[in-house]
Amino acid sequence: MGRKAAAAAFVLVGLAGSVLPAAAQEKVTVGVLRFVSSGGLFLAVEKGYFKNEGLDVELKFFEAAQPIALAVVSGDTEFGVTAFTAGFYNLAGKGALKIIAAQAREKKGYEGNLVLASNAAYEKGLTSLDKLAGKSVGITQVGSSFHYQLGQIATANGFDLKAVELKPLQSLPNMVASIKSGQVDAIIIAPHLAKPLVASGEAKLIGRVSDVTEYQFGGLFTSTKMISDKRATVEKFVRAYQKGAEDYAKAFLTKDASGNIVYTADSDAAAALVAKHVYPSEEPAQAAAKVKASAFFVDEKARLDVADILTQVQWLKAEGLVDASVDAKSILDLSFIEGHTNVN
Amino acid sequence: MADVVHDLQASPAAASRPVVFRGGLFVPRTHRLIGFAALVALILLWQAASSLGWVSPVLAPSPGEVIDALWRMALSGELATHLSASLLRLAGGFAIGVTAGIAFGMAIGLSSLVRSPGATLVAALFPIPKIALLPLFILWFGIGESSKVATIAFGTFFPTVIATYGAVDNVDRSLVRMGRSFGLSSFAIISKIILPGALPGILSGLRIASSIGIVLLIAAEMIGANEGVGAMVLAAGNLMQSDRLLAGVVVLSLLGLAVSGLIGAIEKRLLAWR
Repeated sequence: MGRKAAAAAFVLVGLAGSVLPAAAQEKVTVGVLRFVSSGGLFLAVEKGYFKNEGLDVELKFFEAAQPIALAVVSGDTEFGVTAFTAGFYNLAGKGALKIIAAQAREKKGYEGNLVLASNAAYEKGLTSLDKLAGKSVGITQVGSSFHYQLGQIATANGFDLKAVELKPLQSLPNMVASIKSGQVDAIIIAPHLAKPLVASGEAKLIGRVSDVTEYQFGGLFTSTKMISDKRATVEKFVRAYQKGAEDYAKAFLTKDASGNIVYTADSDAAAALVAKHVYPSEEPAQAAAKVKASAFFVDEKARLDVADILTQVQWLKAEGLVDASVDAKSILDLSFIEGHTNVN
Repeated sequence: MADVVHDLQASPAAASRPVVFRGGLFVPRTHRLIGFAALVALILLWQAASSLGWVSPVLAPSPGEVIDALWRMALSGELATHLSASLLRLAGGFAIGVTAGIAFGMAIGLSSLVRSPGATLVAALFPIPKIALLPLFILWFGIGESSKVATIAFGTFFPTVIATYGAVDNVDRSLVRMGRSFGLSSFAIISKIILPGALPGILSGLRIASSIGIVLLIAAEMIGANEGVGAMVLAAGNLMQSDRLLAGVVVLSLLGLAVSGLIGAIEKRLLAWR
């Protein structure tokens, strides 16, 4: 191809850009895990809410929450949607990250993490959460959400977390293997992994975390630099993200008068869209059913439970998992969404 | 340079042309002070980069912060807990791995019956990353101490075997034949000729094995460990406490230096006959 042709093509592209400004979409990337709890984001992508705001969103899938925060700090992705961990707060506390909207939440009456006992431990009397003292409990990592939730269970049941033998097992498959073989007495794990274990009799359900405490699980965050340099882009992103959260809440969290969740044809359609991202290699009908069965609570306006985040940071500081210098208020930017709950 | 100029006055023909000593060319000498100075210079440069704001505190902590974290851990007694847990695992795993490794290596080096199958098995199993076997070790030995000791034992076993039979192979066979002709028993030949002859090679194998043991400490303490330098480094990584992470790395590095120094001292003692 000659240089002239290339130049002509260049001019054409330039013309197209100036004639059709709507076609020139701003490219942004989002780091996310393949979890149902990020369903609002997936719905916003699938239903074109980002496109309507002029954003061309690319999803980048990660295997663990921590690298997402690192990717946002390093500028590899503009946004991140995932669970909060002690590592996240330590990184954010250095001033590089801001939480701007909510992801999932543990809420009584909705799906949430479950506490399982191994069959052997159950037979020996580990049948409820207050009996966890003196037992070994598998978690993924020190400072993970599971670690925090175990701390909340300990507080609520009046025993010291130090009385529990914490076993960091690094990954979810390791946790499943350890509870099956009885190498740990109990685990706290997400419902989509817990339910098959209970159904097949390989472990026993002894409690739900949401019965003990409500908990702002995760959120949408971006870099401090992004907010100062491209505030308009962040605003557009949050608007579309909120619409996705609203659709998610309508599809999976609507309850009837007796408190049961009602599913409509809309729920099935939304479940199919979310399943495309969460279980990309599975049979669609089965995957959609799994999505519905493990949908965490997400606020319909993606509003954060601010007081809970402050409580989390305070607890993690007391445990020595978050540095004392971290100021929880400075890692929140509440200016993008109105009406965050428990702000004062 | 005057002292290295050999004045060959004895030979009148060469008297006009002094020969410069050139033998020092490929004999590097160790200056402990310069090595130490290089390390200090690197740390100072890093500190300067942090202090002057060239390196963002998000990306890396300053050496001062790392030393501070180390100091706080030492004061609170946390460091002692982690170190003693790790040293026990390291000592246990290393002792098992090295004892078995030397015994097996000697067997390969001395017996044709063991040699072919043994050497093949070692060559086949050595390259397997022990970290990949960790889930199996957990199934076989549980998530308690035994799987951690086993990981280190397996990791140190193979380099010791290879170093040992290599060293045995290199023992001068004429010495063995001489021992035979002087009527020494097989046991005496092994203990008086082969073992001392192979010792330098075995000891340098132990150096490598000990370093591998320290590397595997992290892997061994990945699963179900709350105490130990490896567990501490991993937790610090998970918590994004980079000052504690690097403090742990410094401890591991000092541990490596200490073990290497210890083996050096043993070498000096056992190989004094050289």
